[in-house]
Amino acid sequence: MDLSFITESLYFVKPEIAASASIILLVLLDLIFHKNKTIIPYVALAGIIITGIFVVDQFNISGFAFLSTDNPKYGMIAVDNFGAFFKLIIIISSIFVVAFSAYSDEINKITDRLGEYYALIFGMILGMLVLISASDLILIYLSMELLSLSSYVLAGFTKLRDRSSEASLKYLLYGATSTGMMLFGISILYGLTGSTNLYIISAALQTQSLNLLTLAFSIILIFAGIGYKISSAPFHFWTPDVYEGAPISITAYLSVASKAAGFALLIRFIKTTFVTFVDDNGNWQLLQVFDWESLLIIISLLTMTLGNFTALWQRNLKRMLAYSSIAHAGYLMLGLLVFSNQGLIAILIYFTIYLFMNLGAFFIVMVIANKTGSEDIDDYDGLGFKSSFLGVSLAIFLVSLTGLPPTAGFIGKLYLFIALVDAKMLTVAIIALLNTVVSLYYYIRVLKHMFLTSPTEKTEKIPLNFGQIAVIIIMLIPILLFGVYFSPVVDLAKSYITILGF
Amino acid sequence: MTSIPLEYYLILSAFMFSVGVTGVLIRRNAIVVFMCIELMLNSANLTLVAFSSFLGNPIGQVFVFFVMTVAAAEAAVGLAIIIAIFRNKLSVNIDEINIFKW
Amino acid sequence: MIDYIYLTVLLPLLGFLINGLLGPKIKNEKLIGIIGSSTVGISFLVVLFALIQTVGLPADQRTNVVELFTWLNVAGLNIKFAYLVDPLSLTMAMVVTGVGFLIHVYSIGYMHGDKAFWKFFAYLNLFIFAMMNLILGDNFVVLFLGWEGVGLCSYLLIGFWYEKNFEKGTVPQAAKKAFIVNRIGDFGFLLGMFLIYSTFDSLNFLDVFSKAEYFPVSEATFGLIAIFLFIGAKGKSAQIPLFVWLPDAMAGPTPVSALIHAATMVTAGVYMVARASIIFASAPAVMTVVAVIGMLTAFFAATIGLVQNDIKKVLAYSTVSQLGYMFLALGVGAFSAGIFHVMTHAFFKALLFLGAGSIIHSMHEEQNIQKYGNLKKYMPKTFITFVIAAFAISGFPGLSGFFSKDEILWYSYANGNLFFWIVGAITAVLTAFYMFRLVTLTFFGKERFNKSEKHPHESPAVMTIPLMILAFLAVVGGYIGIPEIFSGEHGNVFHNWLMPVFAAADRKMAVYGTHTHLEEIVLMVISVAAALGAIYAAYIIYTKRIEVANKTASKLKGLYTTLFNKYYVDEAYEFAVIKPIQKGSEKLLWKFFDVKIVDGIVNGAASLVDVVSSVIRKMQTGVAQFYLIIMSLGIALVLFWIILSL
Repeated sequence: MDLSFITESLYFVKPEIAASASIILLVLLDLIFHKNKTIIPYVALAGIIITGIFVVDQFNISGFAFLSTDNPKYGMIAVDNFGAFFKLIIIISSIFVVAFSAYSDEINKITDRLGEYYALIFGMILGMLVLISASDLILIYLSMELLSLSSYVLAGFTKLRDRSSEASLKYLLYGATSTGMMLFGISILYGLTGSTNLYIISAALQTQSLNLLTLAFSIILIFAGIGYKISSAPFHFWTPDVYEGAPISITAYLSVASKAAGFALLIRFIKTTFVTFVDDNGNWQLLQVFDWESLLIIISLLTMTLGNFTALWQRNLKRMLAYSSIAHAGYLMLGLLVFSNQGLIAILIYFTIYLFMNLGAFFIVMVIANKTGSEDIDDYDGLGFKSSFLGVSLAIFLVSLTGLPPTAGFIGKLYLFIALVDAKMLTVAIIALLNTVVSLYYYIRVLKHMFLTSPTEKTEKIPLNFGQIAVIIIMLIPILLFGVYFSPVVDLAKSYITILGF
Repeated sequence: MTSIPLEYYLILSAFMFSVGVTGVLIRRNAIVVFMCIELMLNSANLTLVAFSSFLGNPIGQVFVFFVMTVAAAEAAVGLAIIIAIFRNKLSVNIDEINIFKW
Repeated sequence: MIDYIYLTVLLPLLGFLINGLLGPKIKNEKLIGIIGSSTVGISFLVVLFALIQTVGLPADQRTNVVELFTWLNVAGLNIKFAYLVDPLSLTMAMVVTGVGFLIHVYSIGYMHGDKAFWKFFAYLNLFIFAMMNLILGDNFVVLFLGWEGVGLCSYLLIGFWYEKNFEKGTVPQAAKKAFIVNRIGDFGFLLGMFLIYSTFDSLNFLDVFSKAEYFPVSEATFGLIAIFLFIGAKGKSAQIPLFVWLPDAMAGPTPVSALIHAATMVTAGVYMVARASIIFASAPAVMTVVAVIGMLTAFFAATIGLVQNDIKKVLAYSTVSQLGYMFLALGVGAFSAGIFHVMTHAFFKALLFLGAGSIIHSMHEEQNIQKYGNLKKYMPKTFITFVIAAFAISGFPGLSGFFSKDEILWYSYANGNLFFWIVGAITAVLTAFYMFRLVTLTFFGKERFNKSEKHPHESPAVMTIPLMILAFLAVVGGYIGIPEIFSGEHGNVFHNWLMPVFAAADRKMAVYGTHTHLEEIVLMVISVAAALGAIYAAYIIYTKRIEVANKTASKLKGLYTTLFNKYYVDEAYEFAVIKPIQKGSEKLLWKFFDVKIVDGIVNGAASLVDVVSSVIRKMQTGVAQFYLIIMSLGIALVLFWIILSL
């Protein structure tokens, strides 16, 4: 039997191979250095950087790996620019999370299990990398489970705190149920079309006449699995509880990387399976088998409204940021529901910016929690006076999350709204705009506590070391720079929207 | 001997799936809930195998092997987490696990 | 160096960031001052080299665009962040960075010991950053960005000593006044920009101006655009009726008055009109309006200046008056003369303000000139430089002010009419008079202050050296623009230098009438002689015959009090504009519309949001199974909906 197609495929999965090798290496190192584990974070960082180099190496390369036996035109893994872009987002946020973990007191307390921690993070990385380029339902399910299993454990990593284990259990219950439903949906879709490859399924949908109700049932179940990953309503309920209970570094990671992978999957799933062709204006022509547009409009608006309105009441900053990240998932879906290249560009821009502003906000919350042991908003009273650098930086990140100029968040929202207006969805745009107004309230409330309330005797000066300042500044620069000089991001996004198949 | 029609498998698996979902939604003991999740996965397995034999293509059967592996891993992780919860709370009753709300 | 022109913008920004972020940590005033000044100083050198390079180019290649990046590219609107380096922007940039640098250095001495020393320098650098964007921007958007930026800095710096009182109100009130009055102008400017975009489909200068020359656009459209732009210019450059903020802006520290409210920012309006010269030239009616407004502003401000006793107030009204001259020049189509006066005025007015600052500094914050006297004995360097500046602004032959003012007067007659010239000449006489009233009361006569309380002294070198450099410039600055009657045909270097920028506007306007050199010389002699007479009269009256002044004042009591109270303009605005607005807004807008309707809606919406969110959050019960039930319900609902829609 000719196995050369497997070796040829390896060329396309170099990042995934590097990530797998890193997992093995980290587990081994954990066994070897069972006393002093200071080396492990550096090895992890090196592993991420090597993986990242392979990802960058994949730019402008496209092709299928692990070809399908039914139709060797297609394969299980599609390597394209769109995937490479999201993989780069994963890599960058992973680098930040390693930095976060190095400064996190929660994680550093557990020195003996540091090897597991980083090995599990690599489990997530591997899961996400595969998820982003998977074009086969089997692989989608497997990588999703790999990602989920690693994150269940990480969410409960500080297992001796009952908060952490509760977060872990809720995550597990919710995740296992929704992936179970997704699997059932996959099994029906397989039965309907006779294949698990998205491209072959797409061809089957175009040629055969299927029972639309059964098809809709399977699609909704699959969407439940994806919706849980990107925490869109009504699959978002686990998010606040898990985000609040998990260690902050993991919360930040889940809110950016895991969400990015989920979005990449959703976009690829819809684009390869349900889009027949892209016209000259960049509008996607959808198959008339399922009303994606109405579904996504409703879910997107519901997601941002629920996220924003519930965030209004939160007094715990971590929980507030969790709701805000739900709302942001809603905004991001706006870019998808216009079904055009312009919307996709807007999503890529938004993710690039969201990466920095959300991680930045979480990092500062973590630094403060390290010192005060609390994320309660009352403990932020007068922080702007006592620790002005932290206060001003957090203010910039929050203003950017709100989407006000001159921060990059404004540019992200601007492009999303332009895409909406171009698609003549004014009502949706107006509701989304009203949502940003609501979100202004809870973001600015933090600023009010930091700058307009005078410090109490409880307020302490938060000491910062050089590394922490450097991490904050590295995240601040893009937020401020892209706010005024954003053409490079736009150009980058424009050249990374190609999804294999068209 | 006539073979069992596809519909019978599908009805059985749909029934199993419903039982699983209902169990997940109403049982209070985390371990039982977990068993119900396994039931959901197995109903999907049954559908996959049934379709695989009906369509005469092996993908479904291959998929089932993967799902079984994943289910085992999930069970391992799940039980570990349930043990961690039990050590903290001395209970695996899902209703009582609600520090986080609102 | 042209390609590196962006350094002149980046360096002040860098200075702002360093001083603004690290200022409280640095604590060392010298270091903060050196950082603040050197960024502007290096910018000046960059501009200087760019200027030298541009001079070396043939006249038709002196317009260069330095593109930095595409800033906005949405739906047909393409805004590049680019800088336009041409004779006009280079001239303005030279003035801003050069005079700006000297004022920065001066401020090291003047602001010594201030508790927010770092903040002052951070703001000054931010101002230079914004001002350079305003000047160098190659499209209206970048210009507007700088325009708003300088407005912000002006607000921040006027309110710098925000704890103090100023006249009847407080310093923050003065700052607010400046900000609000400027908003009115900005509104006009914005409207003008929108009109330009809708007419020419572009906001790029070169694009718009080349289209303006050849596009078939009606004169009415041009007129509307020009009048809106002019309203914007009025706000920034303190012309009737929007001049009221500038005297109040004197609440800021004196270097700020020198830099922002005399030498640079207030001339932004002049610059903008000159930049858009082709648009104005295409609307002759608006040109006349510009000239008349400029003339009236020059005259009225000068009359108010006659009787003011606050040294900075006199200078402030003098600034308004000189800005009026510049608009008079623009209005009669003598764009290069207007810009020339911007430059010379920057030299001598900055010098006057800095001298005034030096005096105020040594007189322990006393600003009333009636309480000065004989200061020449105590502060000789300030005295000499101040007098040079006073001669320059009065148009003493051979000094910079003479050349520029005379050119404006000549064109106001040559391109305009005799009436413009008469009012202009009278204003020149008034200027000479009030300046020397100020000089005489301050430096001559007897000390009218309590010598045991106040010990006037010369300021430190860090303050006097900028004074001397500015004095030198005030003397020689005019020689680059010697009028053609002295320098021969095409001998006016400055005019030739700016020629390419205004060529299109010149072509558009009617050909000048023919006038002889004899007329020019006669008019010049008359105005100069009158001004010299006024200088002498002021000196005599305020040293020896002070009773003449008092008698005149009591004889013309009505006129005197009218002038002293600045024609009651503030009061009139208070009565005619502010009070009705306040009353109207209180009674109608606030108590009825705002409280009842808007608040009702807003509070209603807010409480609705509150209620809704308090209900929604209850969904988050904390029990994982409940979440799963909602998820299943969601799936069921979607299925139901699909069944219905199939």
